[in-house]
Amino acid sequence: MRKYAISDSQLISQYKNGNEEAFSTLVNRHKKKIFTTIYLIVKDQYLAEDLMQDTFVKVVNTVKSGRYNEEGKFLPWVSRIAHNLAIDHFRKAKRYPTIVMEDGSNVFNTLEFSEVSIESKQIQQDTHALLRDLIKELPDAQREVLMMRHYMHMSFQEIADATDVSINTALGRMRYALINLRKKMDKKNIAYDQNLYPR
Amino acid sequence: MIKTFTQDDLVRYIYKETTTEENSEIEQAMLFDDALAKDYAELSSVVLALDGAQVAPAQSSVDAILSYSKSYHLHSA
Repeated sequence: MRKYAISDSQLISQYKNGNEEAFSTLVNRHKKKIFTTIYLIVKDQYLAEDLMQDTFVKVVNTVKSGRYNEEGKFLPWVSRIAHNLAIDHFRKAKRYPTIVMEDGSNVFNTLEFSEVSIESKQIQQDTHALLRDLIKELPDAQREVLMMRHYMHMSFQEIADATDVSINTALGRMRYALINLRKKMDKKNIAYDQNLYPR
Repeated sequence: MIKTFTQDDLVRYIYKETTTEENSEIEQAMLFDDALAKDYAELSSVVLALDGAQVAPAQSSVDAILSYSKSYHLHSA
């Protein structure tokens, strides 16, 4: 995970003391991961936007009423709220909750990219869309662990507890998910920078 | 003596769930074990790609969230 000059914990403290700018930093820092978590479940951009707002209404209410518990980390906590709201949506709609995704028509217009040429941007968009398709093809158990670890920032132990498997099984599923994705990326000739492997 | 590591260890390493001691050992092992270094490079490349595949919410959603927070006392009164 990226290291920031000001930690989430410090920003939360400032926010508790009334610093709205600190909250804005937190939201902007994590908005893509949280939104992706929701979007991967509900597969609908507009519904995901609504659930994203509902998620943060709960966050604001919890923090501002003094009920926020510092025991957990901020991002996993918010991600779990988002995840639960998305699953609740399916329950209320009496639909089977599967963690799959499907590309919406305009959703990629909202992707944020660095300053690149239009052509490069198109290639990036195509690559990211393809990758999401590949994630969709993963077996359920692998996709679930990948989402929980990569987008929800749950630890492997937390994933093991949540899915009622051993930590080795959770790790193994993540490994298979990454290896399967890599094979699929190779097969589809999806480009990635082979010289860039930062931790 | 260089310890041997598995792909599961590399997954923990990539996701920063290894100890400081394990980090040093894994980094040392990768200097001598080409297969391990190759596995690390391949797994890391997928993890990087996953970051790129994230979707951002609309700015209007973010604005609505920030606005709700600023006017919280009105909602809770």
